[in-house]
Amino acid sequence: MSEETHVLDLLPAYTLGSLDSEEASRVEEHLSSCLICRNESNAFQTAADQLSFAAPVATPSPDLKDRLMERVQASRPQPRAPIQNPSRSWLDRLLPAWSLASLFFIFVLAGFNLFLWQRLNQLEVVTSPGRMRAVPLSASDPTSRATGFVLISADGDSGALIVDGLPPLNESQQYQLWLIRDGQRTSGAVFSTDEKSYGGTRIRAPGSLLQYSSVGITIEPKGGSAQPTGPRVLGGPLFNP
Amino acid sequence: MKLHTDYTKYDDEELIGLITQLREEALAQLYDRYSRLVFSLAFAIVDDRATAEEITLDVFMRVWQKAGSYRSEQAKVSTWLTHIARHHAIDVLRRRAARVDQYAVNWEDVLPTHESPEHDPQEFAELSQQREQIQAALAQLPADQRQALALAYFNGYTQRQIAEVLKQPLGTIKTRLRLAMQKLRDFLRDERDAEKKSVEARSAYNIKEEE
Repeated sequence: MSEETHVLDLLPAYTLGSLDSEEASRVEEHLSSCLICRNESNAFQTAADQLSFAAPVATPSPDLKDRLMERVQASRPQPRAPIQNPSRSWLDRLLPAWSLASLFFIFVLAGFNLFLWQRLNQLEVVTSPGRMRAVPLSASDPTSRATGFVLISADGDSGALIVDGLPPLNESQQYQLWLIRDGQRTSGAVFSTDEKSYGGTRIRAPGSLLQYSSVGITIEPKGGSAQPTGPRVLGGPLFNP
Repeated sequence: MKLHTDYTKYDDEELIGLITQLREEALAQLYDRYSRLVFSLAFAIVDDRATAEEITLDVFMRVWQKAGSYRSEQAKVSTWLTHIARHHAIDVLRRRAARVDQYAVNWEDVLPTHESPEHDPQEFAELSQQREQIQAALAQLPADQRQALALAYFNGYTQRQIAEVLKQPLGTIKTRLRLAMQKLRDFLRDERDAEKKSVEARSAYNIKEEE
């Protein structure tokens, strides 16, 4: 990096956020490759950060903390209760005859669902090599209703994950899929689930997915971790040896 | 109440860790420590109490929801909070009035602060030390440099906008900001030892507290 391309003169205004956007981009680009300017920039940044303490001291209303805690309460992920309540009142309002008919219908659907589920569970067994595989996953906690499938293309180069019954996490967390081989864990996907606890994502891995023996899903900080750190919620063997 | 007393013993980073586990008491404790800092900064920028309170709420809600994105190697917790607060407040300011003709904070008002330490003495000791330090640094600057700095920091103006509002050549403003920041940096560098002493004093205070 030659001397004249340094951006030292721009750094004070840069750390204050007072450069025009073009100049700021130029500085950012330069900082990404120049240690000298980066060190200088850090020193100016520390000074700029201190300016926040120079604001004239003011105290917020005493009730502001209560308002904050109320918002926190309101933002908590509600465990299905608010979704169930409206549907319950909707059911209550139905005529008894309709309720009976609905119940019957639900039983028929449930039976059909079970039939389909069994068929799906057998998929892995029935698929012969050279065809797409669907591998069922099971919940680590037996009381959980979490389920899922890993779908793998015939050549093992592409894969997808579908999960159900995994509740949406706090905004600072995400689920992460780990591909396991010889005890080594490789991240395959970082994903979130929707308010219906359903989610799907593409699996991306170095090399063929056929080389992994099993998978696990853990709860990790948003963006994922290098190695699993949180509790395992779902998993299972990919291929029988 | 006993629980709350316990949370005062966690340091800032530990509180952030607890917040990622959705422990509300940790957020409440962080609020106790930094709500005045965040509110003061927001108020200095937007010059309206209700808006500044709304910004303060947003800052702490963001901490609640995004504590997992905090990186201790990049900034102290207090710096993270003031970054969020300043960006948010300047955004509000820009949305509210696009005109470049007024500015809220006058550094001459800033220099002495009279508010008494009615809150947690621990909070006050650390923050007031930081305040004294930056005020001493600012007091050394010529008035025109302080003014340019205030417009940049509290109004979020670019150098070009500052030149416009002060009716000065752009080059003059660039020089003022550069000189002001260089002096500030050098002054704070010299004060670093004093700051280290303050950290030691704080941990001594904590140890005493635990006994």
